[in-house]
Amino acid sequence: MTVLASIRPHDIDLALFFHVGGAMILVGGLFTAACATIVGWRDESQRLRRFAVMTLLAVALPGWIVMRAAAEWTYSKEHLNDLPSDPTWIGIGFVVSDIGGLLLLIALVLGGVGMRRSRRGEGDTLLRTSGAIAAILLVAYAVVVWAMGAKPS
Amino acid sequence: MSFYDWMLALHLLSVFAVAASLVLFSALVVVGRRMSTLEETTLVFRLGRVGGPLNGVGMGLALAFGIILALKSSDFEIWNGWIIIAFVLWALVGAIGGWTGSYYTAAQRLADEGKEAEVIERLKAPYGAVLHIVTWILFVLLLLDMIFKPGA
Repeated sequence: MTVLASIRPHDIDLALFFHVGGAMILVGGLFTAACATIVGWRDESQRLRRFAVMTLLAVALPGWIVMRAAAEWTYSKEHLNDLPSDPTWIGIGFVVSDIGGLLLLIALVLGGVGMRRSRRGEGDTLLRTSGAIAAILLVAYAVVVWAMGAKPS
Repeated sequence: MSFYDWMLALHLLSVFAVAASLVLFSALVVVGRRMSTLEETTLVFRLGRVGGPLNGVGMGLALAFGIILALKSSDFEIWNGWIIIAFVLWALVGAIGGWTGSYYTAAQRLADEGKEAEVIERLKAPYGAVLHIVTWILFVLLLLDMIFKPGA
């Protein structure tokens, strides 16, 4: 599979570019949200926690959509669906991206409710939970990036 | 898993670290342009301190692992056109990114000295944002070069 990846045909390059680009935006959005939450964890002001939620919505979510759509595009272009079963690295990618998408939505809902409550000076726990989910997702996606490169069989 | 597989995985992780820092800086550039008080700008500078080291370490490791990959690969040689282009783009990303970093570090020093008007002016001025956009364009070109491998 590694050999296939290194000498892959050029007709999947565009799909792969969008897949990797989307993944970079997603990871960057998660990193920014996680950093803002951790740096501002003990702050009385909710500014950094609100910034984290907005980053998840404006950066991480669009990145996830592009990454996931381009993953399907790359998968079909590379004819990986012709294999009798998915290689481990693809399995890791699908599982983490699908569960990660669900967790991202949960983080956004919690963050959205937290933002509404923050107008009354409440919602700190929800905003912190949203940022904590972003930090967990960041670690999970780091494992996926490793798997996409190392391609464990 | 072979040594080459590990180097490729670590190269990818390093590049993702650079991308993550660029996304962080982009978010800070966007919100920084809307700030009007010194207190608000603390958000930018507190997070900026995290992104700088990540960017530097990511750039260095991406280059180191990339060179190892080029030397170890049986499919490519280090003097191939697309690899030379990658070195040039990497150097440009580092240089322009360095200028951008210096511009905002100077703004941070002004903030530490309490010079509100100068800090706000620097954050709102297009110079830093333009440098950052150029860094992004070069980074995307580097990504395109790595994936399309022109001439390979």
